[in-house]
Amino acid sequence: MMPQLLTVRVDRPQGRAIRVWIPLLPVALVLAPLLIAAALAGGVACLVYRVRVVPAFGVGWRLLCALPGTRVAIREGHTAVLASIR
Amino acid sequence: MNEQRKDILGMLAEGKITPEEAEQLITALERDQPPAAASPGARPKGKAKYLRLEVDTNENGEPGRVNARVPLQLLRAGVRLAALIPPQALAKANAELSRSGVPFDLAQLKPEQLEALVDQLDEVTLEVDQPDAKVRIYCE
Repeated sequence: MMPQLLTVRVDRPQGRAIRVWIPLLPVALVLAPLLIAAALAGGVACLVYRVRVVPAFGVGWRLLCALPGTRVAIREGHTAVLASIR
Repeated sequence: MNEQRKDILGMLAEGKITPEEAEQLITALERDQPPAAASPGARPKGKAKYLRLEVDTNENGEPGRVNARVPLQLLRAGVRLAALIPPQALAKANAELSRSGVPFDLAQLKPEQLEALVDQLDEVTLEVDQPDAKVRIYCE
């Protein structure tokens, strides 16, 4: 299943923590023209570098679908960033 | 019902053995079989779902921490990228490796072997302790 939600949280030494929830499917729909252009560019790049196009897109899709569950938290002093994909 | 038990019951039905002999054989069979339940401390193989990376640093008295959780499925998908590397790129990489004193043929590395490697990762725990940093990589 492709990722549905990206959560980003930034804790700063001063001020309130910023927390952003990004629903990925609506964002992907809004950015669809750009994504199609990027996919075409990727296909051309595959042809230029003699990489098989269909398996390359297959692996790309598998990578995308394997993203849910990824979580990265970085804390440096009093600043912290958390990114989570569900 | 396993095959050996079926065989014993078959021999009993054909009259080759007596009911007492069949009972003795089945008892011996049950005694020889391993217990179904695993020991409580043992983790079922292949159960790990995530690769965890924890880095604790202390630079100039300022503590830092990186805590990452990556699905093993992502690694499995990633190793399939190895199958997409064009032969000319592999040849260049092999030449560079040889020049660096690492005579390793990347063309011999198959995605199936890499997937098998990822499958065995759940048994691996890697810990590096330095005075100002601590790294721990494991699966959960």
